[in-house]
Amino acid sequence: MPKIPVEQLKPGMKLARPLENSSGMVLMAEGTELTEARISKIENMGIDSVFIDGPSRPARPKEELLSELEARFRKAGNSPPMAAIKKAVREHIEAMYG
Amino acid sequence: MGNMDPKALRMRVENISTIPTIPSVLKQLSTIIENPKVSLNEISHFVSQDPALTTKILQMVNSALYGFPGRISSVNHAVMLLGLNVVKGLLLSVSVFEIMHKAMIGLREHSIGVAIVSREIARKKGLKEPEEVFVAGLLHDVGKVILTLAWPEEYDRTVREAESAGIAIFDAERNRFSETHAAVAGWLSEKWHFPKKLCECIANHHRPQTSALAPFETAMVHTADVIVKARGIGYSGDRLVPDVSARAWETLALSEADLREILKELEDSVEQATEEFRA
Repeated sequence: MPKIPVEQLKPGMKLARPLENSSGMVLMAEGTELTEARISKIENMGIDSVFIDGPSRPARPKEELLSELEARFRKAGNSPPMAAIKKAVREHIEAMYG
Repeated sequence: MGNMDPKALRMRVENISTIPTIPSVLKQLSTIIENPKVSLNEISHFVSQDPALTTKILQMVNSALYGFPGRISSVNHAVMLLGLNVVKGLLLSVSVFEIMHKAMIGLREHSIGVAIVSREIARKKGLKEPEEVFVAGLLHDVGKVILTLAWPEEYDRTVREAESAGIAIFDAERNRFSETHAAVAGWLSEKWHFPKKLCECIANHHRPQTSALAPFETAMVHTADVIVKARGIGYSGDRLVPDVSARAWETLALSEADLREILKELEDSVEQATEEFRA
């Protein structure tokens, strides 16, 4: 889940983690859908950024991540389990780019 | 430098409190938890004398890695929720976390990742105490920290050797120390009177097929280690994915959907945890 700076929040986004004050009181529950009103409330609380549902987009290009994946597996055997793990990770990386 | 005498190695590791380079908090904690009859009160007392440690353990149990509703505000409360063994393990983890970060950059992230994946597998397989496997995951590589602290130059050479020869870190360790970090951590977990199952997970995470008491849990930590290395989260001494044990894999019988969900959980939690433990 990406951590989004308050100024980039948009109505319709959902909180991936509950919003708490410093003593741990829950101010907005996990899963709360943001509205204009709620966004300005978050701004007024002096919070910089919040966790939002959905995959974070990695900072580096997909090709780089995939070639590193190949490099990590260079000494691994070709057994069905290793193939299954590698395939799952490849698909996982591809899914991060939507 | 050739092979080290395994007996001398073990003796030095087990007398951890006499090694000058081991930080004092770890020595004291080691002395306390090696007493098999240690009580909750003694642990609470020890922790409460160290505000930094109190903060760290409460930060850990209140972090998103646990998801308890409400705040856990005392060490006593944490023990009630998690059990003495888990809290012992967590105390040890938080006190080695900082050292871990200095000893080998990325080992902390790797360890958190393995803890998360181990617990996720445990939940999927309906294990009664997923938190114990979580702790085993957190501590599975603590032997690397101990080796780095006790033999800084030799261990540094070992890591470089693994890198240049393109071999796994545990093979490089065996070449130089005649034993691996897994054995080292296993000796210590026995000395610290961790539950037998937990000791086995830690000592056998590179050879799960030899686990007699906890083949299921050891298979979980072993497989979690492979998955986290496959995803490339953190750093643990080499950049190679080791082969998963065929028997461990069969024991767990993870489906494609399981793997997908495990990777998603790993990604989300590590991101959040790294944020929380950045300090």
